[in-house]
Amino acid sequence: MTQSTLEVSHLYTSFFSERGEIKAVQDVSMRIGKGQVVGVVGESGCGKSMVARSIMGLIKKPGKIVSGSILLDGQELTSLGENELCKIRGKDVSMVFQEPMTSLNPTMRVGLQVQEVVSIHENVSKEEARQRTLAILSAVGIPEVKERYNAYPHELSGGLRQRVMIAMAMVMRPRLLIADEPTTALDATVEAQIIALLRQLADNGTSVLIISHNLGVIAQLADHVYVMYAGHVVESASVFELFDNPLHPYTLGLLRAVSSLRSQSKVLQTIPGIVPNLAHLPVGCSFAPRCDKCMARCTSTQPELVAVGSGHEVRCHLTKRVDAQ
Amino acid sequence: MNPSENMNVVSVAEGELGLSSPAATFEEPASVLRRLAKDHKISIVSAIIIVLFVLGAIFAPVLTPYEYDSINLSDRLAAPSLAHLFGTDEGGRDILTRMLYGSRVSLVIGIVPTLLSVVVGTFIGMVAGYHGGKVDTVIMRVADIVMSFPTMLLAMVVMYTLGGGTANVFLTMVLVGWAAIARVVRAETLKLKESEYVEAARIIGVRQARVILRHILPNCLPTVIVLFTLEIPSSILTESSLSFLGMGVQPPSASWGLMVSAGREFLYHAPWLCFAPCLAIMAIVLAFNYLGDGLRDVLDPHLQSQ
Amino acid sequence: MRGSVAQGVLRRLLYALIAIVGVAALVFVLLRMVPGNPVATLLGEHADNETVERISSSLGLDQPLPVQFANYLLGALRGDFGESYTLGKPVSELIGPAFVNTLWLALAAALVAWVVGIACGLFAAIRKGTIVDRLFMGFSLLGVSLPVFMVSMLLQYVFARYLHWLPVAGISDWTGYILPAIALGWGSAGSIARLVRSSIIEVLQQDYIDTARAKGRTNSQVLVLHALRNAMLPVITLMAMQFSGLLSGAVITETVFSINGIGRLSVQAIAGRDIPLLQGTTLLCTFVIVMGNLAADLLYNVCDPRVRKGA
Repeated sequence: MTQSTLEVSHLYTSFFSERGEIKAVQDVSMRIGKGQVVGVVGESGCGKSMVARSIMGLIKKPGKIVSGSILLDGQELTSLGENELCKIRGKDVSMVFQEPMTSLNPTMRVGLQVQEVVSIHENVSKEEARQRTLAILSAVGIPEVKERYNAYPHELSGGLRQRVMIAMAMVMRPRLLIADEPTTALDATVEAQIIALLRQLADNGTSVLIISHNLGVIAQLADHVYVMYAGHVVESASVFELFDNPLHPYTLGLLRAVSSLRSQSKVLQTIPGIVPNLAHLPVGCSFAPRCDKCMARCTSTQPELVAVGSGHEVRCHLTKRVDAQ
Repeated sequence: MNPSENMNVVSVAEGELGLSSPAATFEEPASVLRRLAKDHKISIVSAIIIVLFVLGAIFAPVLTPYEYDSINLSDRLAAPSLAHLFGTDEGGRDILTRMLYGSRVSLVIGIVPTLLSVVVGTFIGMVAGYHGGKVDTVIMRVADIVMSFPTMLLAMVVMYTLGGGTANVFLTMVLVGWAAIARVVRAETLKLKESEYVEAARIIGVRQARVILRHILPNCLPTVIVLFTLEIPSSILTESSLSFLGMGVQPPSASWGLMVSAGREFLYHAPWLCFAPCLAIMAIVLAFNYLGDGLRDVLDPHLQSQ
Repeated sequence: MRGSVAQGVLRRLLYALIAIVGVAALVFVLLRMVPGNPVATLLGEHADNETVERISSSLGLDQPLPVQFANYLLGALRGDFGESYTLGKPVSELIGPAFVNTLWLALAAALVAWVVGIACGLFAAIRKGTIVDRLFMGFSLLGVSLPVFMVSMLLQYVFARYLHWLPVAGISDWTGYILPAIALGWGSAGSIARLVRSSIIEVLQQDYIDTARAKGRTNSQVLVLHALRNAMLPVITLMAMQFSGLLSGAVITETVFSINGIGRLSVQAIAGRDIPLLQGTTLLCTFVIVMGNLAADLLYNVCDPRVRKGA
């Protein structure tokens, strides 16, 4: 197998508050090949954004990476200091945030906000940086770039702002782009355009990590999917395998919720219960309290992530038993 | 349908639409105290200091054997001693006694006109914010005029016109004080007016007075309480400054500002004349400021310190 | 859009004018509500009615109030604020030099307030929760809580009378401004520091700060290039509002340090029941405050593109 652009192994990220350790990410491993789009799906609070922030080295104060390794083209990121990380952020790894309305500096012209990335990482003339900015702005599909270059964020629509964010993330042609819920705040037509744009990036060789709670977005974009629940990866498979042959009860629940919306069935299928408090995780499988197939050992022992086929892994006692037969 | 039935329909509709405004969860005083005690111990200390001052002001005649205005020339400018804990002034009056009586003036002037300003300012601010249009423009221009006046000069002009004395200090403080409150409350009202529950209440036809009283006022209340607490110290400062200039409370009434002003003459050979009232002003103003800060953090984290 | 910017500026100018005329009218009416004829008061009990009336009419005091006010405004436009009752000079000649002294004092105090306030607020914000934060914020709250007369007297006592480092009173050279400026500026510094701190802490939690860090900016670059400008927006408004506070405080500071400024002149005017002089000083102070607010409004518009349109 060729070397992965990103290889995360056994990542643990926690917050240390007065109430104790909150384990936001536990034993997460994932790999993204060159030009591959990998999706992470899960409910809000499942730790998917924390995985992204861990990779970027942007975890907020009481939180930190406890252990694990993050390799970017073979380079270890977790051991880098802040100054070295600054050289990588925006250049080799970049990120598109969820809220285009608030993720741009309100008092700075958008063109300069994109151009800033070029001048941070490359010693080029202002004019050249400006030309590159204009080029990337039109590449992400912004019309009338010369006027938009001088606009302030509040003068642009949500879709245009998100394109500016993507331009900002793309202008240095990074090896990895992380998109954290890039379409959640946008309406459906704009969502489709942004998805097409991200797909196009991947086809040009950029690896993309897309984070979403929306299985539809993941299905359209991703080659491989990681399903996260309460800080753990509970299932990982290629996108076709996951939709054809979901094994974890949580994945099944997610898919059922989506298909009940599609089929206009009278009853909206939901997963009963709520996401557990990360400060007080249950012993055993963290999904056990909400699982309709819960067994005695589920409440006592934490299941391991086991391979069930080519590139398909599941963290469930049920699967282990099926596998053994 | 008679009006009272109509009211019920509105109440039910408000309930069903989930329109119980966030203030429905307005905190109990006990819970506010608990949170203050947990995260802002200094606010609790401040509250205790304030309560002590209030008790001292109320029970001044019981706490001290002296009269605040009895002149005793044989005891002039006596240094602090057991008989006179903070010494005596140029008329031989006990300074501790005058301070206790002075705290009546400072507390009453700190609290009563501020309360009036807050009530008036809140009402005007809500009306201006809710109505908008010409009413708003006129009210805000008047507030601008009041605020573009140096407080001390306006107070001086009013005191000049009406003469010194406690009642006139009251009036001056209200005349000066309402504008700043009205501004903040107006801004808050504008924000609340845009919120979904107020909009929904208006759409289903809740009467205007009811929207203001049920939905806007309760949500402004935390801000107003914090403003009130933080305005008290500035009122106390204004009063003491006016009295210091001889334009506030008139002798023989005791006021801390007046005491400092009188003691200034003797600053070099009898510094205790100024020391005690200065300490009192500092303690009470700091206490109110710390309490206000704590309340702001607990009740209204969005209100920025001014 | 250019039209609306011009309109906005024009509207602000109009508001400023309304505020100045409003204050002038308010003072005019208030001062004439004083019972009794001011001329009679000035001339004392022994003046006969004829003399009182003659002087009153020469001062225009027998005309209806609106006419008097209109005459006063017209005069003020030409720089004629009437003649002081007590000092026997045109008011404009008295308030001119006094204003220069007050202006220097206020500027020195503003310098103290801005430099100290912004620096303290900034350090407290980036060292949030540490001992530095607590120390600076305690120092700031103390500044907000101490009456100006108290700080003035304390500084005067310690640095002038006791240590003899600086002049006790008056201003023969620039050293005379040091103590009054600190006394006057400390309170403003305190409120600026508190606002700068909370504003920076709030801005640093905004999403665009994450964006800036994700671009590869170092923490200090993020602070200077992205956080500071946005955090200073509310501070600009506060600074303008403090003009009023500084002039109020100047009344006290000038009295304690015997500086012949507008504030001390106002106190003298009140003591001498000198209506034209008091009117002149209040009008001038109002003018300065309104202009300060106008400048702050315009500066805010330059700094915040979101309000530039229409507002």
